[in-house]
Amino acid sequence: MNIFTTDFFFSIIRIATPILLATLAAVIGEKGGVSNIGLEGIMMMSALFGSLGAYWTGSWLLGLVIAMVVGLIEALLMGFFAFKLQTDIILVGTAVNMIGSGGTIFLVKTISNTVMGQSLTSTTSLITKAHQIPSISIPYVRDIPVVGKVISGHSLLTYIAFLLVIFTIILLYKTPLGLNIRSVGENPNAAASVGVSVSRIRYITIGIGGVLAGLGGAYMSMYYAMGWSLDMVAGRGFIALAAQSMGGGEPVGSMLAALVFGFAQALGIKVSATGVDSNLVAPIPYIVTIISLVLFALNQRRKERKRFAAAA
Amino acid sequence: MSEEYAIQMKGITKVYPNGTMANQDVDFEVKKGEIHALMGENGAGKSTLMKMLFGMEQPTSGEILVNGEKVNLTSPTVAISKGIGMVHQHFMLVPSLTVAENMVLGMVPTKGGFVSDYKKAVQLTREYSEKFNLYVEADARVADIPVGMKQKVEILKALVRGARILILDEPTAVLTSQETAELFTQLVNLKNQGYTIIFISHKLNEIMEITDRMTILRGGRSMGIHETSSVTPQEISRLMVGRDVVLKVEKEEAQPTDEVLRVRDLEYVNDWGKKMLDKVSFSVRKGEILGIAGVEGNGQKELVDMLFGFARPNHGTVEVNGQSVLGLNQRQIREMHVSMVPEDRMIFGIAGTATIEENLISDRCTFPRLNNGPLFNMKAIHEESARLVKDYTVKCKNPHQQVGSLSGGNIQKVVVAREFSNDPQLIIADQPTRGIDVGATEFIRKKLVELSRSGIAVLLISADLNEVMELSDSLIIMCGGKIAAYFEDTRDLTDDLMGKYMLGLERQEADQIRRVCHE
Amino acid sequence: MSRKNSIKFSLIRGLAAMGIALAVAFLLILFSANGSNLPEKFSSSLAALREMLISPVIRKNGTFSVKGLSDVLAGMIPIMFTGLATCIMFAANQFNLGAEGGIMLGAFVTALVAIYLPLPTPALMVVAVLVGGLSVGILMLIPAVLKAKLGVSEMVNSLMLNYVIMYFINYLMNSYLADTSKGITQTFPFRANALIPQMINNGSRLSWGFVVGLIMVVLSWLFMYRTRWGYGIRMTGINQPFVMYSGMNVALIVILCQVLGGFLAGIGGGIEMLGRYNVYNWSALPGYGWTGITVAILAGNNPLFVPLAAFFMSYLTKGCTLMSTNANVPSQLISIIQAVIFIFFAAQQFMSGYRQKLVVKSAQEEQAKARQEGERSDQ
Repeated sequence: MNIFTTDFFFSIIRIATPILLATLAAVIGEKGGVSNIGLEGIMMMSALFGSLGAYWTGSWLLGLVIAMVVGLIEALLMGFFAFKLQTDIILVGTAVNMIGSGGTIFLVKTISNTVMGQSLTSTTSLITKAHQIPSISIPYVRDIPVVGKVISGHSLLTYIAFLLVIFTIILLYKTPLGLNIRSVGENPNAAASVGVSVSRIRYITIGIGGVLAGLGGAYMSMYYAMGWSLDMVAGRGFIALAAQSMGGGEPVGSMLAALVFGFAQALGIKVSATGVDSNLVAPIPYIVTIISLVLFALNQRRKERKRFAAAA
Repeated sequence: MSEEYAIQMKGITKVYPNGTMANQDVDFEVKKGEIHALMGENGAGKSTLMKMLFGMEQPTSGEILVNGEKVNLTSPTVAISKGIGMVHQHFMLVPSLTVAENMVLGMVPTKGGFVSDYKKAVQLTREYSEKFNLYVEADARVADIPVGMKQKVEILKALVRGARILILDEPTAVLTSQETAELFTQLVNLKNQGYTIIFISHKLNEIMEITDRMTILRGGRSMGIHETSSVTPQEISRLMVGRDVVLKVEKEEAQPTDEVLRVRDLEYVNDWGKKMLDKVSFSVRKGEILGIAGVEGNGQKELVDMLFGFARPNHGTVEVNGQSVLGLNQRQIREMHVSMVPEDRMIFGIAGTATIEENLISDRCTFPRLNNGPLFNMKAIHEESARLVKDYTVKCKNPHQQVGSLSGGNIQKVVVAREFSNDPQLIIADQPTRGIDVGATEFIRKKLVELSRSGIAVLLISADLNEVMELSDSLIIMCGGKIAAYFEDTRDLTDDLMGKYMLGLERQEADQIRRVCHE
Repeated sequence: MSRKNSIKFSLIRGLAAMGIALAVAFLLILFSANGSNLPEKFSSSLAALREMLISPVIRKNGTFSVKGLSDVLAGMIPIMFTGLATCIMFAANQFNLGAEGGIMLGAFVTALVAIYLPLPTPALMVVAVLVGGLSVGILMLIPAVLKAKLGVSEMVNSLMLNYVIMYFINYLMNSYLADTSKGITQTFPFRANALIPQMINNGSRLSWGFVVGLIMVVLSWLFMYRTRWGYGIRMTGINQPFVMYSGMNVALIVILCQVLGGFLAGIGGGIEMLGRYNVYNWSALPGYGWTGITVAILAGNNPLFVPLAAFFMSYLTKGCTLMSTNANVPSQLISIIQAVIFIFFAAQQFMSGYRQKLVVKSAQEEQAKARQEGERSDQ
């Protein structure tokens, strides 16, 4: 059986989208010196409120906006604890992930009970086709043989995600804000010495990450799966951190890394369809991460040695 | 006639929250269009004074006038708006950004308000670069350019923000001699265009070469403002390195015996390619204190790093009792009975939130006498820490108090208690009494003499003239990574003479210096 | 600051963090409680809060419930171990988050030994748990060595390993080990002599593993505060350059603490398995690792306070479960309470103003005392 069909490549993109969104959040965060390991939790929370919002308002668009706002608020709260109260950002992220896993189920039960009079453990029964983020069939492109089938017909958010890669590049490398973000991440003293407000830039950095993770969450509950359910993000927020390191912290590299993870997962699904246990394939992205981090570190070390040898 | 002055600082006193008085009633005036030197030894209060002028610190009392107008400099942003620019000793640059990006950080030109106009930034950089004849590569990443160019970027950064008054904090410390010469040409150039320059340095020849006037600080006080042309280097050196309080330490004549530390032809080139140590050779024998004097940054730090395994030299040998220490780690070096009092006690000397006791046993925690099989012998540890606290008169409630809560002097006593009590054959004491109170200083100095007389070899590195002269039996002076002088006997030495060698005005003949090898 | 004031500050700060967490909890309960108007909601919220805080050990009729207490104690077992594991790793500033996967792997390996290795009675139990612990300790060499030798983030690696462990176990279960005669994925039963005996036979599943846990607390404390290795770990967490300068081997310490942490998480998993279950049937990460992080933060990385923190967490968890059955407030409220306490505990600047006041007061007191003593000696 040939597994490398157009369907397969289509699914890579579909699977990689939420990872890509979170990865961009990680890329911008790391550039600004903010290691956000709470992306996982933010995605969970946004996934929940995005689906609820879409259900209440009857509009996927408003649901999407709500998901982004929830992500933003959560990220700014993280910033408050990390920057203002000086909590180690790793611990803040851990706390956000706790809320993202157990807290969301509490909220969904409570909210559904209060609003609808019945306690739900997921929102899958609420989300119908009407609440889904629409798919877009691109005229002309869809008619191109093979390629058309792979890149046309995705969710609107998928196209937005890839456009956001370009947006991220422009933001980081072509705007004054990006310059500030990069300088605060690399040498906050230098930034402060020319009058850049370091804490303001940090809040902006983590805030943008929150919005992007929020989009990733919305994609999960309003497109990828119909509705929110427990632990549905399943480590994508963590994989995003890995994709960021694998991609050397740059937008395009990290996008490719996100696609590698998408590929690994799509392959897993395909392979498991042939009867092989998906559990054997599913950990590949995680193993790939560890190996790539090691290769990256070895390469860095080699560069340093070279520099030292040149100096001596 | 205050119009004549670019800067007037009147009666400036600065007391830090921890009680350190960094500046005391300092008057500092800089005329428009002059190059004004601010001189003084480390800890004389130069940096603090300039930090106040650049808005990074606020004076406790006194007033600051810029161009005759009284100002309240609450932040660097305010200082920049008053036309003051500062080139920090540690560059305030972002390495991964290009030169042009660093230039415009915080004031990026845009196209339509959102997208940066990088071309314009490059153009601006080139324009300023040409205007002031300071050549920089606008498109290169800062990480890839040489130190000299980084400094030019810093100067341009200040100029592009409208600075008319430039503060340069030890600008030549990281430069090679060619780069220094180039910098001076450019500074004179700027002066001719009407810019005012404040030049912090303690290198005499540089000061004589390019400055118009100078202010000398000593111990936080001003020693007056002088015309460069009307003072001699000897006078400057006397004003700068004179001794304020002489703490006398009684000591018997040294009876040095076998050689313990043997350093030969040590050379070290740092990461930027600057030669920090140049053919340094000396020996330290049992029962003597060899002092290393010199203005800081003349290779002392690098030398200590080589001796204690923190860096490897490019050339040369270091032996303790005939065994090479190069390539060994700190544990192995300590096993050769080498102890060290580190220059920066808060980074290397102690673990701040741990107890006094825990800090006293860090080098000996694996010794059988403090362990019972796998467990610590707490009785032995308590006894040891109680004994050390008592012997070294560490002022504390008990040895279980956090070491970080002690005063600087008592913290240093904890460090010294540990380093002196581990049966050392060689003690490297790097600035052992810097920034601590008189009582602790006296105690530590007496202890050093006592230990040396009991047959231990002591290498004392200190920027404090009083200390090296009082304690050392013999003494070398380092200048520019080389040994500039060796004095077998310190008794007849004068501050004057020391100053000349420290500031590079004179240098002894090679065979005179070679005598420190005792061959 | 004096020791007395220092303790006073920690205590007040801890209580304030819990107070905030309970206030947040109350608001959330208020939101979810039954009732058509505010007063009604308010009273049912209070009832729910009472349920959460009191009912774990007090019966409806107001009498003390032994069963309730033993449930809480039984719930402490896994989180004591993950808490200790995290304490040791965090004490050296190693943010290894692998206790979560570690406890799962330990449980799984122990289960395998308990099923397939025919050993006599006391030996099987001990060997099974030790092999479980060792397997995790060895696995932790991966993030530990990579950190020590290459500087690769132990945090990301340990997180990744958690997932690898989970999928790997699930794969082995599905493909080779599951008892296919059962409806759900589970192993064959453990050998009868592998099961850890219960301390009390009331269905709480409070096994003697609890006592082993307490012993490990004491041993961990001894290790951390009474041996050269634990000393090295703690000093590394405070000031790494100091440790190097003092002649200790930093790389070794970084590896040691993570391997030990892995070992503790692993035996925790083994003990939980043999004390509570008779087949292995975990198919997802159990969450004990994350609770362990909370426990370690609450205990200030001191093993001696781990039982207290674990009791607190276990008690709250039970309270939330009861609240959900009796007052219709979802039990997962615990995650939010946990996160809030946790984050305030870890916040260095939380109540720093109050701390500053105490420092000043303390300094003034000392000066006054010194003055008095001076006057006395003058006389």
